[in-house]
Amino acid sequence: MSGADVTAILPVGAIWVVAFLVILVDVIVPDRDRLSSGVATIGALAVMAITAAVASQAPRTAFGGSYILDQLTVLLDLLFLSIAVLTLLFAPDYLRPRGLPLAEFSATLLFAISGAMLLSGARDLLVLFLGLELMVLPGYMLAGFAKRDGLATEGAIKYFLLGSFSSAVFLFGLVFVWGYTGTTSVAGVSAVLQSVAAGKPLAPGLAMGLAFLLTGVAFKIAAVPFHYWTPDAYQGSPTPVTGYLSVGPKVAAFALILRLFVGALGPVKADWVGAIVILAALTMTLGNLVALTQSNVKRMLAYSSIAHTGYILVGLAAYAGAAAGSEAEARGLQGILVYSVAYTFMNLGAFAIVAALQRHPGVTSDIETFSGLGRRAPLAGLLLALFLISLTGIPPTAGFFAKYYVILAAIETGGFVSWLAVLAVLNAAAAAFYYLRVVVYMYMRDAPESAPPLARSFELQTGLVIAATATIVIGVFPSGLITIAEAAAKALL
Amino acid sequence: MLPVCSLTIFTPLVGAILIAFVPRDRPQVARWLAFATTLVTLGWSLVMLAGFATGSGGFQYMEDVAWIPLFGIHYQVGVDGISLILIVLTTLLTAISVLASFRPIQERVKEYMITFLVLEIGMIGVFAALDLFLFYVFWEVVLVPMYLIIGIWGGPNRIYATIKFVLYTLVGSLLMLVGILATAYAYHSATGTWSFSYLDLSGFHFSPEIQTFAFVTFFLAFAIKIPMFPFHTWLPDAHVEAPTAGSVILAGVLLKLGGYGFIRYSLPLFPYAAHTFAPAIIVLSVIAIIYGAVVAVVQPDFKKLVAYSSVSHMGFVTLGIFAFQSQALQGAVLQMVNHGLITGALFLCVGVIYERTHDRRFAVMGGLAGKMPLYATALGFFMLASAGLPGLSGFVGEFLVFLGTFAVAPVVAAISAIVMVLGATYLLYMFQQVAFGDLSDFLQGLGDHLHDMVPIEIAALVPLAALVVVLGVFPAPLLNLIQGPVAGVLDHVSHGVALGILP
Repeated sequence: MSGADVTAILPVGAIWVVAFLVILVDVIVPDRDRLSSGVATIGALAVMAITAAVASQAPRTAFGGSYILDQLTVLLDLLFLSIAVLTLLFAPDYLRPRGLPLAEFSATLLFAISGAMLLSGARDLLVLFLGLELMVLPGYMLAGFAKRDGLATEGAIKYFLLGSFSSAVFLFGLVFVWGYTGTTSVAGVSAVLQSVAAGKPLAPGLAMGLAFLLTGVAFKIAAVPFHYWTPDAYQGSPTPVTGYLSVGPKVAAFALILRLFVGALGPVKADWVGAIVILAALTMTLGNLVALTQSNVKRMLAYSSIAHTGYILVGLAAYAGAAAGSEAEARGLQGILVYSVAYTFMNLGAFAIVAALQRHPGVTSDIETFSGLGRRAPLAGLLLALFLISLTGIPPTAGFFAKYYVILAAIETGGFVSWLAVLAVLNAAAAAFYYLRVVVYMYMRDAPESAPPLARSFELQTGLVIAATATIVIGVFPSGLITIAEAAAKALL
Repeated sequence: MLPVCSLTIFTPLVGAILIAFVPRDRPQVARWLAFATTLVTLGWSLVMLAGFATGSGGFQYMEDVAWIPLFGIHYQVGVDGISLILIVLTTLLTAISVLASFRPIQERVKEYMITFLVLEIGMIGVFAALDLFLFYVFWEVVLVPMYLIIGIWGGPNRIYATIKFVLYTLVGSLLMLVGILATAYAYHSATGTWSFSYLDLSGFHFSPEIQTFAFVTFFLAFAIKIPMFPFHTWLPDAHVEAPTAGSVILAGVLLKLGGYGFIRYSLPLFPYAAHTFAPAIIVLSVIAIIYGAVVAVVQPDFKKLVAYSSVSHMGFVTLGIFAFQSQALQGAVLQMVNHGLITGALFLCVGVIYERTHDRRFAVMGGLAGKMPLYATALGFFMLASAGLPGLSGFVGEFLVFLGTFAVAPVVAAISAIVMVLGATYLLYMFQQVAFGDLSDFLQGLGDHLHDMVPIEIAALVPLAALVVVLGVFPAPLLNLIQGPVAGVLDHVSHGVALGILP
């Protein structure tokens, strides 16, 4: 392995070191799980610093081109690490009162993140699959982390069964692609498709492969009609885990899409754009319609996260529908990235407040729990209102700018993709109804007599400050993020 | 030079931040701080008015800072005559509304004042923005505070009303976002550069397809806001449930956002589509004028009556705008200002009586003239102004609209003029019910609660009354201000298209 190899895989290697370190600390001082969680947080921050430091070295490849560190990898890695840090900051206040072990949680989470980071730079079909599995397996564990809770176990089992089923479907699709192209390298697949298949009717084998891959990925991002596992898994899981599941695996699956569908299958994108448009339309609309009827905030956020998948898919559809080499093509990819970043911070922030509200075991995430929150915890109420307004897409917040980006991409692409823009904004208006309903409860109803106080630990407050700052800064000064997203998209095209 | 425009926009933000640090148990401090902020804001807008070079059609006090360079998005603000008088109207009405909230708002005073000041930022920003993206941002900033004002400090059915208000507005404005992006992209694909600036886009000849699509999306947003028949159904609910000051701002300023949008964006950017749709919009306007007036006649509730009369009055505004005629358009602008003053004052009057009786039904009122002579005088004065009595400002705007419309569509003008009789009907009937006759049993039962207006209430109404008289007798300064911009707008509209639309 040459020096270049080490640089390319340094972030992934470092996060593994941190994860093992957490386990080690827990073995040595088993009763101090706060320490392990601290090690995990600081370790993840250190890996962020390492990632930022090696960013200037990009692009570097490792293992014969099967892993690449480019601007896209850097952006995605930093995003995944932010997810890890925020989740680690938000989790203790929820897990500790319920007697759930913090050290195991931290280590498992870091392993899941390492899988996501492996995905973000994978340039080989096998590495892609490896990263995917490494990312989702710890996810199943986290979903069932409250193992004595019936709902959590039910959700975890559903998540596991459908998850492994979809992994198998996905793997099957990979096999077809490999069989057709004769290579597992992303660049190789792309080159073969470019020379052989582009512009021609799809060969039957490749068509089946595409169908399987799409189905597998659609399960992972919870696109309608492959979303059935989501609400149960999300509602059953401990709230900080739900926050993680609604963001981490989703963004990681989009990383997979970027590497596989854009990187390898881009030359035949005219053959899969139709499917993406339909998926996007269904996912936005159904996610929102079902979210409208939820009275449990966690479940509502679960369905709304499905809707947000739909908005991100609009970006993908814009890429896929645009002519090769056009500006709209890049805009679509940037849209996926910008939306993912914005969504990460606002959604994690919203879940953090829900988790803080549920510090005492037995407090549900029912919407009634939020009554009078604006009165009894003004700051928490204000922050949740901010995150919800951002999720709705009202300026000047990150959520608005993210929507702006994908809508613009869809308009630039034109044709039938541009109707997705209209559908997206109609959906956003529908989403306002259920997001703002929480605000109604928070500010326009009185608090119940004996409402338990919210968690207010230093970690939680730090995390909320980060999430809120990101939500506002991306909304008001998005130029920095645009520049990064542009560089990342350029690395891919 | 001082960035007066930005100072006007963001002074309320400073005030809001200051109020956030006022202790919760000192509501009086929050009140006065908010009032002082609105006065300073009013001061800045008057500074702009004083230094404004009348007669020029262009924008003044321009500020331009790159914001999101990749998309050519700028923080670009500036005023012409139309936006300037609407900004002054906004700052004036906000100051008066804050003053009028001193007594009625007793709960969560601090939050109320902060919300109100944030609302003011959005409203001034909409009028001052010259970049479509910035305009959209301010347009949406208006939404959330109003949602909270109705939803937290409103009447019994406030949650239904506020959600209806938000959903209606949001559907329109989000579609407008698509329209904005389609417009900007069309400009980009034609010229190769991105721009959301009004100055770039307004002189640009977009293709008929883009114009039609974008015009429809903009139209929905503005028509819901203004509101035009049949998009008006949120308005009566919102008015009935909103607190007094919320109603004043809603009627006084928020409805004007729609009219302003038509004048500033719909006409100059999409003249072709404006011509295509003008006949339909004129028909809708006439329906709104008639319908609003007819429905107002049968309203048992004070606020609903004023709300429906607003629908009718705003019908004149859209009629004046889409007649594409100089006098009519000037009339539309004047009508917006006058409607803001008069309807704002009427809602303040409703607030005065509601605070004493906690009722707004005419059926239980009667004989107020004897018991509250000052109040009855004020109500009568603004009632007559609303009915369009010559010599008061309400008359000038409507008259100009008639005059201008008559030149291009005499039948429409005739129908609308006849409807003015209806306006007199419901207003006079209302006044007769409330003010004359014997003091009703219900009011007698209130005893000493039913006292005449207190100084703070009088202070809120006096500036409005003075302006109604001044602008009614001597509208020339106002007309001078708006003449240039109106000519500019019509110049864009008539570019290559002959006037004359309906018989």
